[in-house]
This record gives sequence, structure tokens and C-alpha cells, in this order.
Amino acid sequence: MSGDLENDRDCKRSLEIRVGEIPMKYMLLDYVHESGWPQLTREEQAHWLGVYRAYMEAMTKAGVLKSSGGLQGTPTATTVRIRNDKTQVLDGPYADAKEQLGGFHIIEVPDLDAAISWAARSPTALHGVVEVRPMHEGTFLTEDISKYLKPE
Amino acid sequence: MDYMLMIYVNEAGWPKLSQAQQEQGMAAYTAYTEAMQKAGVFKSGGRLYPSASAATVRAADGKPSVLDGPYADAKEQLGGFYIVDVADRQAALSWAQRCPGAGHGAVEVRQIWR
Repeated sequence: MSGDLENDRDCKRSLEIRVGEIPMKYMLLDYVHESGWPQLTREEQAHWLGVYRAYMEAMTKAGVLKSSGGLQGTPTATTVRIRNDKTQVLDGPYADAKEQLGGFHIIEVPDLDAAISWAARSPTALHGVVEVRPMHEGTFLTEDISKYLKPE
Repeated sequence: MDYMLMIYVNEAGWPKLSQAQQEQGMAAYTAYTEAMQKAGVFKSGGRLYPSASAATVRAADGKPSVLDGPYADAKEQLGGFYIVDVADRQAALSWAQRCPGAGHGAVEVRQIWR
């Protein structure tokens, strides 16, 4: 691993320490080839569903799983923008990439390394990509927003 | 029905705002969240740290490889989300339209199936 990457990792750690929220929530975003699923046989689909269920059971048993969700395919997505007071509604997802966001898990673990370990155990990592993103606490209502602002 | 509103914004813009503008931005989200709660549609929401703090994990050959950075490299980055329980897609779209992020970024709406 290059020095820059190490520095980045150090930055992430210091970010977490500065925020002082331990354990911290992480979002695991599952990017998958959604066109692959219909091509599987019924037996293969049953196999993968079982693998995902086992993964979620392991996270539940470890007490780290806060919530999760599976998204309907990107053909059902709609993207909304407002420009010059006019609403633009477009069919399709925001991003057009090789893999598509298919679902997510929110976990609460002590640090980024623990979050990455759970991502590495995800069945999605075997056939797609799992993005790990640290999350802020709260929902804009229950939190002190001052930490998001520039210092006085 | 549960819908996810995914908020894509240019995260480089936030640090360039003045403190007053940032407070205004936060207040807009607080008001938006309160409106959702009052309407009884709010299920959950979350705000993500900037994409520079992301790690991306693959294990195609069974051996995990970890890269720094987000999966997608786009003009705007996923910055947060809401999950709303509404009657139909039209209702989800009208909440997306009220999202502060729709004014300067994009809000993707997708139904959650489980």
C-alpha cells in the first residue's frame, strides 16, 4: 500500500476520533450487476438468497446490524432535480455505472477496519462491490448541528 | 410503500459556503425532516461523510481487496438518504421535489422491496 493511502487511512481514523462517536455507524452500499439475477437458475437464486440470509444473521448475531434494505431495479428509479424553479423528473438512476446500487446495510462497529471486515464477508463482494461509508449520527433533528459548521 | 430518496450533491460545495449559508442549509434539512415527520412519512434518514472517507471492497476471487474512495466517480456524490413510507410513487416524487438537495443536486427515488 502506498504512503498516500496510508495517510488517507490515518486521516479517516483521526476524523473518527475527532468526531468522537465510537461505535460508529457505517453504510455498506451493495453495487451489483442487476442484469445477472434473472440469468441465474432458480436453484442458484435460492442459493444466493440463503447466502445473504446467513450474512444478515451473522451481523444480527454479532449485534452490529442496524437496518438494511433492498432496492428495486434501476429501471424503476426516478431522478428529481429543480433548476431555475422548474422541476425536472427523469426516469432512471442518478449514476450510470457498470454495477448498480442494489441495497444497503447500516452497521454499528468500533472502527473503519471492522466495517471493512464486514464488507469483505458480504456475498456482494464476491460478485459485485461493497462501498463502505461512515455516517453521521442522527437525522438532523436529534443532533447538535454545530459540528458540521465551520469553526467560529 | 417504502421509498428511498438518495441525495446526490457536489460535496466540494459545502466547505466553500459561509457559516451563515451552512446554517441555512442545515436549517432547510431540519425543516424538511420535520415536515416529513409531521406528515407521518419519515422512517429513517442518514447523512454520509464525504466520499473521500469511503472504502470499496471486492472479493471476486475470494480474497478481499480494499480500495480507498467511493465506487462511483461522478459529478455529484451520494451524501445522504431518507426512507419514506408513502402511498405511491407520485407521493415519493413530490417529497423528493421538496428535498433541499433537489435544488442544487439530484434526488434519486427508488422503491425498497424488503
